[in-house]
Parts: sequence; structure tokens; C-alpha cells
Amino acid sequence: MPLDFRRFNGPEDSVSYKIYTKDYLKTYDEQLKDLYDENGKRKDGRELNEARSMCMFCMFARTDMVSQAKGSAYVELRKTKVVCSVFDPREIPHQNEFRQLGQLYCEVKFAPFSCPRKRRPYVPDVEEKALSVALRQALEPAVCRHFFPNYQIDVLIYILEHDGSCLAAAINAAGLALANAAVPMFDIITSCSVAVIGNKMFIDPTEIEEHIAKNSTEVNHGIITMSVLSQLKQISDFTQIGSMDVECVTKVMEVLLKECEIIVPNIQRVLVVDVVKNFELKKHLEAETKKREEILKKKMDEWRSLLNGQ
Amino acid sequence: MVTDMKDVQDFKLKPMKCEFNFLSKSDGSAILSQGDTVSLVSVNGPLDIKMTSQRIDKSTLEVLFSNKNGKPSVENRYKENIVKQTCEAAILGSLYPRTGINVTIQELEDYGGFLACTLNCTCLALLNSGVSMRNVFAAVSCAVDNQGNVILDPTHAQLQTSTATMTFVFDSRDKSLITCFTDGCFSQDAYREALERSRSASDLVFAFYRDIIRKYCNVIG
Amino acid sequence: MSEVYKLIHPVKHFNDYISIKTRLDGRNFDEHRNIKLNVNSIKTADASAVVKCGNTTVVCGIKLELAVPKAEEPDLGFLITNVELPALCSSKYRPGPPSDYAQVINNIVSEIIKNSKCIDLKDLCIVPDKLAWVVYCDMVCIDHDGSLVDACIIALIASFKTLLLPSVNYDTETEEIKVETNERINLKIHGLPVATSFAVYEHFQSQIILLTDPTNYEEEMCGGNGSNLIISYNKGLLCGIQKLGGGSLSTENNEEAIRLAEQHTIAVEKVINACLEGKGTNK
Repeated sequence: MPLDFRRFNGPEDSVSYKIYTKDYLKTYDEQLKDLYDENGKRKDGRELNEARSMCMFCMFARTDMVSQAKGSAYVELRKTKVVCSVFDPREIPHQNEFRQLGQLYCEVKFAPFSCPRKRRPYVPDVEEKALSVALRQALEPAVCRHFFPNYQIDVLIYILEHDGSCLAAAINAAGLALANAAVPMFDIITSCSVAVIGNKMFIDPTEIEEHIAKNSTEVNHGIITMSVLSQLKQISDFTQIGSMDVECVTKVMEVLLKECEIIVPNIQRVLVVDVVKNFELKKHLEAETKKREEILKKKMDEWRSLLNGQ
Repeated sequence: MVTDMKDVQDFKLKPMKCEFNFLSKSDGSAILSQGDTVSLVSVNGPLDIKMTSQRIDKSTLEVLFSNKNGKPSVENRYKENIVKQTCEAAILGSLYPRTGINVTIQELEDYGGFLACTLNCTCLALLNSGVSMRNVFAAVSCAVDNQGNVILDPTHAQLQTSTATMTFVFDSRDKSLITCFTDGCFSQDAYREALERSRSASDLVFAFYRDIIRKYCNVIG
Repeated sequence: MSEVYKLIHPVKHFNDYISIKTRLDGRNFDEHRNIKLNVNSIKTADASAVVKCGNTTVVCGIKLELAVPKAEEPDLGFLITNVELPALCSSKYRPGPPSDYAQVINNIVSEIIKNSKCIDLKDLCIVPDKLAWVVYCDMVCIDHDGSLVDACIIALIASFKTLLLPSVNYDTETEEIKVETNERINLKIHGLPVATSFAVYEHFQSQIILLTDPTNYEEEMCGGNGSNLIISYNKGLLCGIQKLGGGSLSTENNEEAIRLAEQHTIAVEKVINACLEGKGTNK
């Protein structure tokens, strides 16, 4: 890898200390056994088919996270933490033909410390690029792109901590941020994911569950993320990693559709809170500035009279 | 064209030698040596730059710093920023809107106080290029040794034993502080003493500027 | 009305506020914003801290790695600090490699940490010439609203304070490495460096005004790139003064800045200590 001159670099051959710990040498079967106990409960106490968004305290979402951005959102699914900000539409640099539809520029970036296994590189890697593309494809059907031809909206995602289903979290956050930025949209977009290992389905998987699902040797294994426009009953994106038979996929889709519906009221609640809060805040700010403006006005009048007097 | 500078008042700076128009193709250039430290600066401008970096209210200053091995690094960006911020305060950029002024710096020898030497050299090169300036500026470096004494314009040997180095840049009008950057740990008193001593010593640099400009003006006639 | 005035006559608008001795957000000149600090909120990092100074938000995460020390410095470990300014933190930045400004901030933060000598690199060495810790500290700015260096330093120091190094067994004969994550020791921190940013505003060509803990808008109005004056303290000693751009300082301004920075340092130290006591240092 070429040396990065724009940052401080550590020694080239450094390795994470985790590869020297005992846990690192666990076999696949041992890891699989660790995922759930005899009662079928997962490590964090959930049932296999229980999503994190279901329990009130696990999903946390808010808007107006980034003051400098037009719209922003923060979504927390237990440990997965995602920040999203959306900026004003801007002209597309270096383009020579007229575009009927506005463009969405999506970028997903992992923090260097976000993954439990290894340090993330600074330059975008394959996974980040794939996530960016998936995010764009999911959002494009939801945004009224014909309202801003020849312009582009930047949707930037930063993943602070990765504990599974980060694409779903990113799509949910992006939907909230776009709404917060007052970008016209057709519908509320929600997303959820499922990891499949053999005959077991893990709804809203954690990082370790995803990891095992990806490397599993079973016939049915992999991760499916689906995003849904709930009112329109449309699926805006369907991303699958791994291989599954048709029966399994249809079953997963049914489950995901249901899960996505469940998230909608949560998102609606956040948006309503956001509108109310902004309204209150504006009133408060206006009252406060009025006081200061009053003094300023006096000063202005003073100057004006001085100018006219001369 | 060489001017020496020794034993003025009781403050001593390392001997300074300067030559203008060292590079024939640039609009203005200067090579300055302070003791063993040598720096070469060329100034080009005002010139045409690409639309995206043009500013409607003033000229855009671009500084390129390259050290001896020529490799880019984070430290170089920081040094560029120091020179850029210092020059921006001094140049009357509003006279040249929508243009660019390029300053290119090459490190030749670094035996302590390199950035101070570079800043002085940049000021001379700007004077040589004829860009309009609000004021000139002078950089002076100081070191604090392990006993806490302040040494003005330290030599290479003195720097090896010092705990901190500071560089100050003053403007020529009211000797106020334009730029300052430090390295190492030091007490408040040491900082104050270094600041005041450097402020007085900046007179020597300004006198040197006047001297060298006078000599060149005579040659031009 | 006020918004229009601000857009059309930004300088005049700003001047008017300054002449009635208030700032746009209603603060006094020497008042700093509230600091909120939270440690160890990110479990994938070995130590982490989130800090909010007003709107400015910085997340710092530390990852530990092992490497062979450099041949020329066999008894020193590595401390790598990097500041990230991703495009989402402000509309000023575009996606891609770090901007020049990000590199400048990166250099300032790393110099302050180095100069304050708050971490002895010898403590990071496990076996001289064979094995040493590499401490990667990544500070990510989530929201850039001025005084970035202050927030970065607070986040970094708070994470250092909570960092626990796992114990390592190194067999000199077989060169086998064993890491015990359950037995951890605190990293020694010498002092508590704190940086204080100021914007230096030249009011009507003569009067110099120091704005403590400036917002992004104030930094832009004062000219220059970011904060104009950054003063850092560690254990009562100055460990870095950077003055770049903005108005020029007279001796009195300088004294005032140093006095304000000293006060701010004490206040910030209290915040950090209160946060760490409340949380406890164990994970």
C-alpha cells in the first residue's frame, strides 16, 4: 500500500492484539454455539425473531445532530451507531448534459475504530463502496428527484460503531435526515435486515451473527437487507449476500416486510417531535434575538441621524 | 550583493545574507541565509488561476513548501499554512481580485530557526516581486535552555540542549504580533521574556530589509 | 429582517454586535460554551470519548495494536494521532482525501500532545527491540462549529484517561505472544493538557477583540483559517501557542489571552475529572 502523506502513519506491520487472545482461535462450530443458548435466546437476550427496534430503549433516533448541515439524523440500534447529514442541493461539478432527474450522492464511511475485528483503513474500501451504492439505490425511488433537475444532493453517512445491520441503520438514518432537510419525498423509507444460518433466522443481526452467516458452510446462509416504502407498499431496495433457496428468500421477505412496517411509527414519532421542537425553538430564538435587535436598531438610528446631520 | 549584520545594540542575530532575483524566471525571488540556515523563495503573481479557487474580493494566495527530500507530509501543510496566514495579513489582496499569487519555498539548509528564515525570505521575495503590501513583517526565533534562560536566534548546537523553541512574527508598523508558534514546554515568564526580546530584535531585521532594498534601488538607479 | 441584514451586510452586522459587547449567540466575549463529555460509549474501540463543546462534536476512539519498535528507538512505543474531518461535519468539506485544513489541525493536535509530554512513549514499550504498543487515536469531527482543537484535545485526553492496556506475555525464546484481556493496567498520563481557542477580531482597525471559544461563523468573520490563537496548558506550563491570521496582538492582548486560557484550563480540568469520577475508570 502506498504511504499516505496526508496523515500520520503508524508502523506498517502492526497487528491488532486480539489475534493473540484465546477467543481468536475459536472454531466455527464453537462460534456458532456461542450465538444462542439452550432456550434459543441470543447473546443479548433477544429471541431469534426479535428486532432491536422493537424494544423501546434499543432503537434511538434523533434529528438535528449536525448543526452545520441542512438536515441530519442519528440512529442507534443497540450498539450500532450511525450519523447521517444531508446538504443543500448543489450543482453537479463537471457535467455537460442536462439531467431530468436530480442526483443523489451517497457516501458511507466507517470510523477507523468502528469495527471489532480490525482497524478500518482511511481510504474507502470495497465494503464501503458497496454500501454507498446500495444506499443510493434504496433512496432514489423515495426522493422526488424531478424537483431538482441538474442538481445533486449529498447524503453522507458515518458509522461510529458497527454492530451489525449497518446498511439498514444507514437507510433509516438517511430517510430521517432527508425529511429533516425538507427534501420532498414520496414516502417514509424504512429498512431492516435478516441473517440466515441454516434453518435459523436472526432478525436484525449483530456483527458476530453477520460474520458467521457470511462464512457459514450451510446451504442457506447469508444476509438480506430490504428497504420498504410502507404507504406505497413498494420495495425500494433488496440486497442479498450469500446464497439461499427460493423458499427461504420468500419467507425472509415476508418477515422483513412486517419488520419494516413496525419501524414506521417510530420514525413518524421522531419526525413529529422534530417539527414540534423546531417550532418551539424558533419561537424562543426569535424572542431572544428581538431583544438584541432592539439595541442594534437604536444604534442604527443613532448612526443614521449622525449621517443626516452632517 | 551581500550585507552583513553584526553587533547592533546589545541584541545579536545570526549574520544575514540575502540575494534578490536569484531565480531569473519568477516575478520575484530571494535567497536568504541566517547563519547556516538557508531558504529560497520565489513569488509569482498576480496571475490567472482556475475559476473554482478565484475569490471575488481578493487574490488567492497559494503557498507551496518543499523540504529537502521533496516528499509531501502533514508538517509541510502546517508550515505552508503558517506562511500563508502571515502573508495574507501583509499583502493588500483586495487590489488584485480574481487572481492568484503563488509563493514557492524550497528548503536548502536547516540549522535551526528555519521557519523564521523562510518567513523573512518570503517577505523579501514579496518586496522584490512588487506586490502591494500593507506592511512588511519580520520573524525572530528564540529558544529556552534547560536552565530557563532565553536565547535569541539560537544556533544549531544551542537548539540541541534547549527545551523549547518559539518563533514570533511582527509587523513593521506598531510591532504587534502577527504570527507565533512554539515547540516544547515553557513557563509564562519565559514566553513573555522571549516575546519582548524578539520584539526588540525585530528592529534589526527591519533595518536589514531597509539596507538591502536601498542597495538594490541604487543599482536599478 | 435580521437574517437578511446578516446576509447582505455580514461585516456590518457583526460589527454592530461587537460594539454592543455581545456575540451572535448572546455570549460575552470571554464566555465559553458548555462542554458535555461522555466516555467509553463506543465498545468496538479500546477507549473512547464523545465531547460536545456547544455544537462542535468530536468522537475519539483508540485502537491498540502490536508492532516491533523502530530499530533506532528500540525502547519507544508508537502514538499515532489523526484528526478526521469527514464531509458530513460541515458543508465546507468535500468527500475525498483530507483537506489542507484537516492536515493543519492534525499537525497542531499532534504537536500539542507531543510537547505536553503527557504520555511517555517508553511506557508503551513491552519488550525493547521486540514488541511495543501502537496506540492509534482517531478523532472524528461529527459537527464542526469552531474551536475544533479544544474539542479534539478534550476527547483525546478523556479517552487516554480511560485507556486500559491488556497485559502481554512475551516469551523471549519462542517469541510467542499471549495477550490476557482480563488483566489490564492503566496507562500513565502526566498532567492534563487543555487547549483554548480564540478568534482575534480587528474592530474598526484599532481595537482588538478576543473571542473565546469561537463558533464557525465567528472564525470566518475574523479571517484566517480556523481559530486564530490557540494556547495550550499542561501542569501550569505552556505547551504550545499558535497564532495564525486574524488581527495582530499587542502586549496587553497577549496578557489577557494567557489569563483567559488559564481560567479556561481550570474549568475544563474540572469537567474532565468530574466526568471520569462519575463513570469510574473501569470498563
